Amino acid sequence: MDLARNLKGETVSRLYPSQPLIVQRGQPVADAVKLMREKKVGCVLVCEQRRIVGIFTERDLLRRVLAQGLPVTTPIEECMTPDPVSVHPKDSISCAIRYMQKGGYRHLPVVIDDKPVGILSVKRIVHYLVEHFPTMVYNLPPHSQPYQPKREGA
Amino acid sequence: MICPSCCHKNLPGDEVCRHCKQPFALFDLPHPENQVERSVMYDQVKTLKQHPPVTIGEKASIGEAMALMTSSNVGALLVVDAEGNLTGIFSERDLLKKIVGLENGFAKLPITQFMTPRPESVSTTDTLNFVLQKMDAGGYRHVPVLENGKPVSIISARDMLRFLTRLSKEAGERGASTS
Repeated sequence: MDLARNLKGETVSRLYPSQPLIVQRGQPVADAVKLMREKKVGCVLVCEQRRIVGIFTERDLLRRVLAQGLPVTTPIEECMTPDPVSVHPKDSISCAIRYMQKGGYRHLPVVIDDKPVGILSVKRIVHYLVEHFPTMVYNLPPHSQPYQPKREGA
Repeated sequence: MICPSCCHKNLPGDEVCRHCKQPFALFDLPHPENQVERSVMYDQVKTLKQHPPVTIGEKASIGEAMALMTSSNVGALLVVDAEGNLTGIFSERDLLKKIVGLENGFAKLPITQFMTPRPESVSTTDTLNFVLQKMDAGGYRHVPVLENGKPVSIISARDMLRFLTRLSKEAGERGASTS
């Protein structure tokens, strides 16, 4: 398996992006936070009539809500990132990685004609890369010390 | 185990051949097949770019931690005790999971109540596959790097992504030029 070639040739849909969590424009931040906490994810998409208008992440929560001292009843569009950089399911994985690195993003919405169909996270991409060399990563002892201090057994 | 080098019969569980002192652990290691695998297996954590970690004392409050996270533009703080030893990690995820919308007046509460205590960590001489393993299997976004119990750096998922893509690109270019 040639990693460089796979990155160029394989598409974002091959990573099976996770289902997006969606809040509607006008909902309060508290709803988004509750949804993120329940689903254990770091980002929600903000939509208006099924079209994506913004993204709200943990970083936005910290910087634009808590640091500014806004109440959690603030409507989400005031603290989301509008018009996020997104990818199409047919885009290559290397293209998604390039967007992430250029903007320093942790999540990219996967979008078809402005309609969100998934979320691609940096963890998912790291997992994809690790799948290319499983024996190097998964066949590891729990400690990095190669030797036991003493022989096991009674 | 019968030593592959000198055929001496050793007791089960021996790490080194009693006759020729050949260490056995090496025989269990996988064999890297290309430059990326070699690098992941043998490169140590210190070859990555070191970020001086942003640390905060155990006595700090959530409000102070939030201010520090915003001003230094990081997603995770390392919590250290008076001697500088790592005791916990406080990240944006802790903020989301345990605080916002659940606690009122959280800015005054102590950070020790909400941090993740005793996080998984690596040392500077560990190889990169340990970092990847912890990150991927544990689902962590940040892995602290310790030296004698004191944090010296922190590796994020994006650092690993940057390292791996650069490596695979270089390997791809080299492969294209040789073939």
